[in-house]
Amino acid sequence: MGPPQPLDLFAAASAEGAWTVGEVTRRARAVVEAGLPPLWVRGEIANFKAWRSGHWYFSLRDTTAQLRCVMFAKQNFRLPAPSDGMQVFVFARPSLYEEKGEFQLTVMELLSTEQGGLWKLAFEKAKAALTKDGLLDPARKRRMPAFPRRIAVVTSPDGAALRDIQAVVARRWPLAELVVVPAQVQGAKAEQSVCSALHRIRRLPVDVLIVGRGGGSIEDLWAFNSEKVARAVAAMPMPVISAVGHETDVTLCDLVADLRAATPSAAAAAATPDRAEVLAHCGVVGQRLARALRTASRHAVERLDRTGDRLARCMESRLEQTRARLTAHSAHLEALSPLRVLARGYAVARDADGHVVKRVAQLPAGTEFRLRVTDGEVHARVE
Amino acid sequence: MPGLNEQLERLEAIVRRLESEDLSLDDALKLFEEGVERLRTAREQLAQTELKVRKVLELEGSDQ
Repeated sequence: MGPPQPLDLFAAASAEGAWTVGEVTRRARAVVEAGLPPLWVRGEIANFKAWRSGHWYFSLRDTTAQLRCVMFAKQNFRLPAPSDGMQVFVFARPSLYEEKGEFQLTVMELLSTEQGGLWKLAFEKAKAALTKDGLLDPARKRRMPAFPRRIAVVTSPDGAALRDIQAVVARRWPLAELVVVPAQVQGAKAEQSVCSALHRIRRLPVDVLIVGRGGGSIEDLWAFNSEKVARAVAAMPMPVISAVGHETDVTLCDLVADLRAATPSAAAAAATPDRAEVLAHCGVVGQRLARALRTASRHAVERLDRTGDRLARCMESRLEQTRARLTAHSAHLEALSPLRVLARGYAVARDADGHVVKRVAQLPAGTEFRLRVTDGEVHARVE
Repeated sequence: MPGLNEQLERLEAIVRRLESEDLSLDDALKLFEEGVERLRTAREQLAQTELKVRKVLELEGSDQ
C-alpha cells in the first residue's frame, strides 16, 4: 500500500499502479505538514461558524486569497467568538483535511487586532470619501422612468440574475429593449470589468440601468464595494438600480444607486410598469374620452335649445312692444283727428282747389265751395 | 415614435379639458379625435409582446 515511485507514469497509467484518492491525500498531507511548520498568519475572518460541538470553522483572507481554518473547542473555549470582518492573527498548523481533500489551518491561537478588518476599514474609508463628495446624498436619488424604452443590464452573461431580469421584463414590459452588457461580477477582474461595462453604457440611449448579480457571499460581492465602481455608478446619466442581492450587507454600489433592490427580479419589477395595468388605464381613458364627448355634445345641444328659446322669447316680446306702441299711436292720432272737431259741430270749408277757406275775402258772392261736416261733404254757394 | 409617456400625458390633458371646459362642439370634436388617435397609437405600442434582447459585446461600442 505504501506510496510507489511518484514519477513512474507507466505504473500510474496501469490499473494496478493507480493511486487511490486516499493515498494521494495522505501523501499531500505529509508533504504539507513537512513543508509548512506551525506559523503565525495574519488575515481577516470570513464565513465564521461555531458548531454545536464547540468547534469553529471560518476562513482567513486578504485581498488576494483565502484559507480554510478550523479551531477546535479545546483551543477556543476561553475566547469570545470573533465575527466576520475582524482582522486577526492566528498561530496554526497547516495541514490537509483528508476527508474533503481540503488544505486547511488548524488554529491553536487566535488574536484579534484592530476594530474591524481590512475590508471593513476599506469600506468605511471609501464610504466616507463618497459621503464627502455628496454622492450618498438622498437628494441625488432619481426617479425611475414611467415607461422605459431601453433597459440596460450589467451582470454576468450566464448567471441566474440575467435570466430572472429577462423573465420579469418580458412579462411586465416587453415593449422595452433589454440591452445586456456582460461583465465579470466576481474575481480579480470584476472591478475593471464592471467599470468598463458602465463606461460603455454611458454613451448608449438607455432610460434605466440595472447593475447586479444574484447573491453570493460578501467576499464574492467585493467588486460592488469598490470605490471605483461606486463612483462610476454615481456618474451614470440615467437612474441606476443596484441589485447586488445580499440581504445583510449593503454594498457601496447599493448606497450610490438611485434604488436598491433585494433581488434581480425585484430590480426588473422596479424598472418597469406593468403592461396589463397600462392597457387597463388606456381602457379607462378611452371611456372617459367617450363620456366627455357625449357630455360636450349634450351641452352643445342644450345650449342650442336655450338659444332657440331665447330667440323665440325675444321675438315675442319685440312683437308685443310694437303692438302696444301701435295702439298708443292710434289713440293719439285719433285724439288729434279733425274729424273729432267736426263731430263736435264744426265744419271745414274748402274752395274748388281744395284749399281751406279761412277769411271772408276768400269768399266773394257767388263762389262755390265745399263744406265738410262730420258725416260727409256738401256743395255750397255764397249768396 | 412619440414616447408612451407623452402620449398618455397628452391624453390625460385632453380628457381633463373635455371634462371640465365648456368647449364649442367643434373644439370638443377636434380634441376627441386627437384623443382617439393617441389612444390608438398607445395601444399599438402596448401590443408589442416580444421582448427584444440585445447583447453589447466587449469590442462593440468600445470605440464609438
